[in-house]
Amino acid sequence: MTACLDATGRGCFTRTAIIDGGSSCLKTVRTFVEEAASAAGLRQDRAFDLKVAASEACANALEHGGNAGSCLQVSAAGFEDRLEFEVADGGAFRLPHAVDHMQRAHRGLGLPLMVALTDEVRISRPAEGGTRVTLIMYADRPPQAPLT
Amino acid sequence: MELTISRLSNVPVLNIVGEIDHGNAPTVGATIDELIEQKQRTILLDLSQVDYMDSGGISVLLSALRRLREGGWLGVINPNANVRRLLQIVGLALDASFRVFDSVEDAQAAVQTHARP
Repeated sequence: MTACLDATGRGCFTRTAIIDGGSSCLKTVRTFVEEAASAAGLRQDRAFDLKVAASEACANALEHGGNAGSCLQVSAAGFEDRLEFEVADGGAFRLPHAVDHMQRAHRGLGLPLMVALTDEVRISRPAEGGTRVTLIMYADRPPQAPLT
Repeated sequence: MELTISRLSNVPVLNIVGEIDHGNAPTVGATIDELIEQKQRTILLDLSQVDYMDSGGISVLLSALRRLREGGWLGVINPNANVRRLLQIVGLALDASFRVFDSVEDAQAAVQTHARP
């Protein structure tokens, strides 16, 4: 990902982190997302939503990517109009219902939550193998409106 | 995350401080399971000091609700705006056996006047 620069330079950056897959892994992911969201000038409620979605993406990657106990590579890129968060792992993407049966009840919430909480979700299979999940938040959009 | 249990008119209240995620949600789930084993049919979680919750926490609430639905209910007290929105997005807030209270006083009034909603 290549970030552009706007007139002020605000919100335009790329950063990458290798995160240890240990017990505090998701906490580290949240801190990474929080800092990227702050650098991108994302609203506080939208930053919360991205944190939850990124946490789901990373929990998935750790569970199915053959990454348990190893490392995750996450990156964030700020553009003029959006923030992109990405996590890559070495495994094949699994359907929520399959994960649900193998793991615990309700585990299949991960993907629907990513879709509900962010503006765009891309799941791709890069040439080098594995799965890449990209979560995109546009700067000018409101948070998901709750159902009433 | 820190978890302590208190009582509100004999209804157990899990007071949680910190963040509920995939890593520590099983601890909350195990505590709720124990209370249900002890025949508690109504359980409250005070979320006023919880600043983050992911689907790990949501899963625990859904499991508890499924077990309490017949003859009981599950309530949360004073979740912050973001957690409250998350509860609405996943549909929990629409469930008749799930209640969201703005304050401990509101929860107290509910447990005193109704055995169930």
